[in-house]
Amino acid sequence: MQLTRVSFRYRKRDRLVISHADARLSAGNVIELTGANGAGKSTLLRLLAGLARPTSGVIADRPAVVGFAPDRFPTAQPFTVTTYLRHMSRVRGGARWEPWAERLGLGPLLDTALRDLSKGSAHKVGLVQALMAEPGLLILDEPFAGLDAGTRETLPLIAAELAQRGAIVIASDHQSGLRDLPALRHWALRDGHLEESASPAPETAGQVTVAVTLPAGDLPRFLAGVRDEGYLAREIEESH
Amino acid sequence: MIALAVFRLAAYVRSHRVYQALLLALAMLAIVYGSRAPKGVETAVLADGAVLIVPILAWAARSLLDTEPDRQRELSAIQAGGRGREVAAGLLAAFAACAVLSALALAWALLLGVSASPPPAALGAAALLYVLAALTGTALGALTSRAVLPSPAVSIMALLLGFMAMLLISASSLYWLTVPLITWMKAADAGDLLTRLPELAAISLAWCTAGLAAYVHLRRRT
Repeated sequence: MQLTRVSFRYRKRDRLVISHADARLSAGNVIELTGANGAGKSTLLRLLAGLARPTSGVIADRPAVVGFAPDRFPTAQPFTVTTYLRHMSRVRGGARWEPWAERLGLGPLLDTALRDLSKGSAHKVGLVQALMAEPGLLILDEPFAGLDAGTRETLPLIAAELAQRGAIVIASDHQSGLRDLPALRHWALRDGHLEESASPAPETAGQVTVAVTLPAGDLPRFLAGVRDEGYLAREIEESH
Repeated sequence: MIALAVFRLAAYVRSHRVYQALLLALAMLAIVYGSRAPKGVETAVLADGAVLIVPILAWAARSLLDTEPDRQRELSAIQAGGRGREVAAGLLAAFAACAVLSALALAWALLLGVSASPPPAALGAAALLYVLAALTGTALGALTSRAVLPSPAVSIMALLLGFMAMLLISASSLYWLTVPLITWMKAADAGDLLTRLPELAAISLAWCTAGLAAYVHLRRRT
């Protein structure tokens, strides 16, 4: 799959959200896409998925089967998990969704109405519908947000398995959930410009990552304080 | 595409939105056919019914297309293998819903609205008008759906004004500038629906096709 000078703006005379992006994706690539809020990550993912057309430039050789897991799954639908996934499976020509639901821990929730699901469980439904048809291109928008610990560990394994079978996996991710995968490619979006870097922030020997729980309102002050002391700090959990 | 159309119809029924259009249709039919029309005006009664049901069909089509959250529409497009298929599946589902309501209106008119069975040729012509009504409702509903007109206020005004404009224009000598709804009624009243049917059906079909093509164009633009 090839991106050649891909640019995108929502309306004429708007600024470019994506500016002259060039990239080549090969079978088996796993890509982590980072960037600040509003940098254009979701827009780039929509372009890759074929949901939006580039204002200029070309995206060529997109794999035939695309799986897309949105950052927020649309739960306002009158279905249970099973009926929804069954419908999606029929749309996909009878794809097997049951093993994926089992693997992501949706088993106990199959008869639950979509609108009654927690954020993390709804996110899993989004993942299952993306995974069920053995996609050649799997696009995950913030896949780790709100997931339980077990699924956080499973998802990188699933990404690696798909890549081994020749799929391209691309995930926008604030949480470095895929960091342990070998040969992970890192893309960063800054002001609409796509850059590829060797590694975002390597953890060297002797360093550890700790989790801190604190009131949401204290977060900016806490992060600023820790950074002032010279430590690398970032927010990994969305505030509830 | 069929599976996606079935998914959208299922959502429309399970969300109970279908009852809005169904109850409206039943209320309208109960009032219009409260007493049977005298013998000899069967074709006119059937043609009037085909015109009266159009705004309800447009409401049904719009409501069906708006049942799906915007984000699900994107997921559906990816699942079905492209925006084109998602748009086509939506139109197919909307037309299916309109066709069922239209058939209900025709059946009600035949069972409770007329005093005698119309001759087979007139019945065939009337059935064609109900199919054209379903197409007109699908096109008007699609063009006023959320994917085209995001504001609910603008959308509902556009639907009602669109129907009013169709009535006004088709009542004038420029009836060929829209789906000629009033001309259907006039022709049936004057007893020359059968002779004018090829012309009226062609004009109606052309405007429905133009409306649906405009919808497809607007949806595929992004």
